[in-house]
Amino acid sequence: MRLWEFYARNSQEVLGLVGQHLYLVAISTGAAIVIGVPLGVLLTRRPAWRGPVLGMANVFQTVPSLALFGFLIPLPFIGGIGARTAIVALVLYALLPIVRNTYEGVAGVDPAVREAGRGMGMTDWQLLTQVELPLGFGVILAGVRVATVVSVGTATIAAAIGAGGLGVYIFRGVAVVDDTLILAGALPAALMALAADGLLGVAARRFAWRGK
Amino acid sequence: MSPNPLSPSPLRCAQGRLFGRGGTPGRSRWSLGLVALLLTGCAQRDRIVVGSKNFTESDLLGEIVAQQIARRTGLPVERRFHLGGTFVCHQAITSGQIDLYVEYTGTAYTAVLKHAPVADRDSVDRTVARDYAQRFALVWGKPFGFNNTFAITVRRRDATRYGLTRISDLTRVAPRWKAGFGYEFLERADGFRGLASVYGLRFASPPTAMDLGLTYRALAEGKVDVIAGNSTDGQIQALDLVVLEDDRHYFPPYEAAPVIRQAAITRHPGVAAALDQLAGRISDAEMRRLNALADVEHRDIATIARDWLRASLP
Amino acid sequence: MTKPLEVEGLGYDLPGRGKGERRKSRSLVRDVSFSVGAGETLVLLGRSGSGKTTTLKLINRLLEPTSGEVRVAGERAADLPVTRLRRRIGYVIQEVGLFPHFTVERNVGLVPRLEAWPPARIAARVRELLALVGLDPDTFAGRYPHELSGGQRQRVGVARALAADPPLLLLDEPFGALDPITRVELQREFAALEGRLGKGMVFVTHDVREGLLLGSRIGLMLQGRLAFLGTPDEFRRSDHPEVKAFMAAA
Repeated sequence: MRLWEFYARNSQEVLGLVGQHLYLVAISTGAAIVIGVPLGVLLTRRPAWRGPVLGMANVFQTVPSLALFGFLIPLPFIGGIGARTAIVALVLYALLPIVRNTYEGVAGVDPAVREAGRGMGMTDWQLLTQVELPLGFGVILAGVRVATVVSVGTATIAAAIGAGGLGVYIFRGVAVVDDTLILAGALPAALMALAADGLLGVAARRFAWRGK
Repeated sequence: MSPNPLSPSPLRCAQGRLFGRGGTPGRSRWSLGLVALLLTGCAQRDRIVVGSKNFTESDLLGEIVAQQIARRTGLPVERRFHLGGTFVCHQAITSGQIDLYVEYTGTAYTAVLKHAPVADRDSVDRTVARDYAQRFALVWGKPFGFNNTFAITVRRRDATRYGLTRISDLTRVAPRWKAGFGYEFLERADGFRGLASVYGLRFASPPTAMDLGLTYRALAEGKVDVIAGNSTDGQIQALDLVVLEDDRHYFPPYEAAPVIRQAAITRHPGVAAALDQLAGRISDAEMRRLNALADVEHRDIATIARDWLRASLP
Repeated sequence: MTKPLEVEGLGYDLPGRGKGERRKSRSLVRDVSFSVGAGETLVLLGRSGSGKTTTLKLINRLLEPTSGEVRVAGERAADLPVTRLRRRIGYVIQEVGLFPHFTVERNVGLVPRLEAWPPARIAARVRELLALVGLDPDTFAGRYPHELSGGQRQRVGVARALAADPPLLLLDEPFGALDPITRVELQREFAALEGRLGKGMVFVTHDVREGLLLGSRIGLMLQGRLAFLGTPDEFRRSDHPEVKAFMAAA
C-alpha cells in the first residue's frame, strides 16, 4: 500500500513527528494533572468554589480548539506561534475532565469512612493521602484517560500554529489534496488515542474500589 | 471526489421531474421537497458559482469578479470563498462545484500541471491555456495585470545587518537560521524543495510548518527568520519586512487571471465580456494597496471591491 | 485518679437564620453535665433529634461546643490539638466506616500506625484485639472489609477503636445496622467485655432494652437537655413522663 511505502521512505520524519506529538500530549497532560488534581481536591474542601471553577473549566472545553489557539496567540507571555502556545491550550482542554473527576473521586468516598477517619484522629492531609486519594484514584485515572485521548486529537490541530506533531502531515495532505499524506498523519494519531484509551482504561479498572 | 449531486446534468434534471410523479399521499410532501431541491439544482445552470482560495488576495479578486459579473450580466452569483488551497479549488472547478476562480499562471504550470518551473512568461501562458483547455475544459481569462510571486521575506534589520538583497545571499546565514512556511509551499514542486536545491539552501533544521497566514507574525516576532510570503501582501510594508530578489529566476511568473469552465462560458457569453473588462486593470502596487486595506486596516472585503469597481470601471 | 470523661454545662447552638432581632439561634444541646468513670458505661438514650449524637460529637470535637467544658482524662478538650484529642478517644459508628482498601489488620492498626508504634508492637496488638472481639486473627487479619459480614465488620470496628488503648470510648448506635440476631449476640459479648476493659464509655442508642442491658448509668435526653441521669434501676422506677414513655416501649 502507498501508505506503507510512504512510512518506509520517510521513517525518520515520521518518528520525529510522532515524537513531537507525544511530547505535546505528555507535557500538557502532565501539567494538567499537576494543576488539576490539587484543584479538584481543593474543591472538595471549599464547596463554594465548585461552581466557578468547574464553570470556567467547562468554558475552556466548550471553546472550539482552533478558536482557543487563536485567542492565545496574541497574548504576551504564553502566546505566539509554536509548541508553547499549543501546550497552554492543551492544558486548558485537559483541565475539566481532570478537575471534575478528582472532585468526584474524592467527594465520592463513603461519608462513613471519612467520619471514622476524622473521628479517630487523622489529620486532613493523612485522610487525603491515605484514604481519599487512594479510594478515588480509579475515578481520577478515568479523568486522566479522557483528558489524554482529547489531547491526542486536539494536538493534531496544533500543527496549524507551528507546533509540529502528526497534524503536519494532515495539513500538508489537505493543502495538496493528497489522501496518503492525510492518512499518514491521521492513522498514527488515531492509534495513539486508542492505545492511550486502552491502557488507561485497564489501569482505571484495576484501581476501582468496591464500596462497602 | 464524487460529482455534486446538484450539478446541472440533463440526466439528473430529468430524473428530478420523473420523481415528482405519483407516490402515495403520505410521501407527497417528501417527494415535493425533493423535486424542489433537484429543480433548484437544475436552476443552477442560470447562476455562476465563484470560488476562491484561502487567503485575502484570492477573496478580494473573487469578490471583484463576482460583483463585476453581477453588475454587467445581471446573473445571480453564488460565492464559495476561502475553500482551501490551490488543489482544493482545482478539484472544485473540475468537478463542477464551482464555475470560476482566480488562479495564477505559475501555480497552474508547476503545481497543477506539474511541469518543472521556467521563468519565461509567454511559454508559461501558452502552455497553461492549452493544457487547461485540453485536459480540463477550462478557459483562462485575461490576466489582471500584476505578478504575485513568492516573496522570500526577511526582517529589515537582518537584511541590513547581513547585507541581504538577493535570495542567493541567504546561503550565508541559512545554516544558523530557522525557516517557516505554509503547508502548500512545503509540498509544491515549485515550493521549498525546488528553491532549496536551486539556491543550495541548507537550514539548521527542517522548516517549521504552520498556517500560511501565521508566517508573517512568526517572522515579525522572531520565531522564524525567513518565510515565503506573497509579493503583493499588504503586511510586508506594515511589518517592516524586506523581500529578497529572485536572482536565479527560480520562480515562474504568477500572473493572476480568472479560470472558468468552458460550459459556463458557452452558456453565458456575457460573462466573458464582463471579465475582459478587468484585464490589465490591477498593477502590483494597486494589488498591494487593496491587500493592505483588508489585512492591515481590516476593512470589509465586499466594500473594498465595490469601491474599487466604482472607481476603476464606472 | 482522674475520670476518663467530665462534661460540664455543654451546649451547642446553631447560628440562627433571619436578620436582626429575629436572629435567634437554635440549641441542639443545652446545659448537659455528666461524668464517666473508668469501667463505667453511660448510655445516652433518647428519641431521634433529642441531641444524643450531637452530644457525642461535641466530646471528640467533630462539632465544636458553643458553651461548656469537656475534660478527657483530666485535660480540657478545647486545649488539646484536635487530632491528639481524637487519638485518645475510641470512636465507633453505626456504619462502621472501615477503609475498604485496607486489610482488617491495617484497619485495626490505624491509630497505632498514626502514632508511629513499632510494627511488631502493632502486629501483636492487632492479634490481641481480634481475639478479644471474637475474630480468629489467622483467619481474619488478611481479609478485606467487603469479605466480612455486618457483624464481623462491627467487631473489627470495636477492635479498631480499642487499638491505641484509649481511656474513653464513644459509640454511636454501633449495633443499629445489624440484623436482630447478630445484634443480640454482639450486645451480649459487649456486655461481657465492658467490665474487663476498665475504660469509660459513652454509648448512644434509642433502644431502651439495649441501654438497660449495657449501661451502668442511663442519661435520657429530651430536646437537647438531660431529662434523667441515674442507674438502670432508678430509670425503671422513675416517674418522669419521658422515662415512662420509653419504659412503655421497652
